[in-house]
Amino acid sequence: MTECKGDIDCRGAVQKLWDYLDDELTPERMDEVRRHLERCGDCLPHHEYGRVFLAALASARQTDARAPDALRRRVMDSLRAAGFST
Amino acid sequence: MDDRDRAAGQPPPAPAAGTNEEDGRLVPQMTASPDTARQDDLRFEAEALPYIDDVYRFALSLTRDPADADDVVQETFLRAYRSWRTFQPGSDARRWLFTITRNVFLRSRERERRHVDLEDGDLEALSSFAAATDQGRDGSDQILSRIDLAPALRRALNDLDEPFKSAVVLVDLEDQSYEAASEILGVPIGTVRSRLFRGRRILQEKLMTYARDAGFTTAQRGQRGSKDD
Repeated sequence: MTECKGDIDCRGAVQKLWDYLDDELTPERMDEVRRHLERCGDCLPHHEYGRVFLAALASARQTDARAPDALRRRVMDSLRAAGFST
Repeated sequence: MDDRDRAAGQPPPAPAAGTNEEDGRLVPQMTASPDTARQDDLRFEAEALPYIDDVYRFALSLTRDPADADDVVQETFLRAYRSWRTFQPGSDARRWLFTITRNVFLRSRERERRHVDLEDGDLEALSSFAAATDQGRDGSDQILSRIDLAPALRRALNDLDEPFKSAVVLVDLEDQSYEAASEILGVPIGTVRSRLFRGRRILQEKLMTYARDAGFTTAQRGQRGSKDD
């Protein structure tokens, strides 16, 4: 595999893969990883694995979890006892 | 709304005046006039209280116990109210509340402070994907896209220890950026990365154990005609 000057190798790409998937790299670094994934058959499965894993993890968020009414009342009671006036 | 998008340009909530409080920020010592106090209460009602579901969900993920979560939520809002005049209008109230939630939780679980942090996120990333490679050899990687992982992940998350759990919950479930998580947890971004990546790796390992226990990997090997069969 030919490496272009300035491009990262497989180790560097995998080190940055979570950051890449989290969109936490600088634009230049994002491009570096993206270019590497486009031409590296070894690293692409890692990317897919991480992507699917994070999607599954995000789906585990219990979006329907709401504070129970009893807790809301309890919070308001304690706030009023502390001086909250609305 | 994605906090990752806004985090880079979002200044941390800055205190307005005062001494210290539970969240490590400042709190005013002066006495507010009745009108000012009334305005503060109205702002608190409009800007902080609407996040009670978010705070409850975060507290529940930290405590794993509804009763404990209730205690954390109540204490969080009480502390937030007492420190409200230090909250800078226009900054991220949800992030500020998460910071207090986390601190309240840690106060209630002092043992959580004893963890030694790993600082090398890059090494954690390599380990994480190396494990994935090993799993790929027996077909386990494909399980991620074949079965409903949400129940298993919720269980694995419940079992995940601090400080890894907070990092995973904040970034992966609550869409906080590394920077925001760093601020909420009160640790450097490098520490957030290492905790997050280690947490993800532990979850991956738990998922694969779950899959093997459920017979998925065995079936996968059988379909492939592994020489181990």
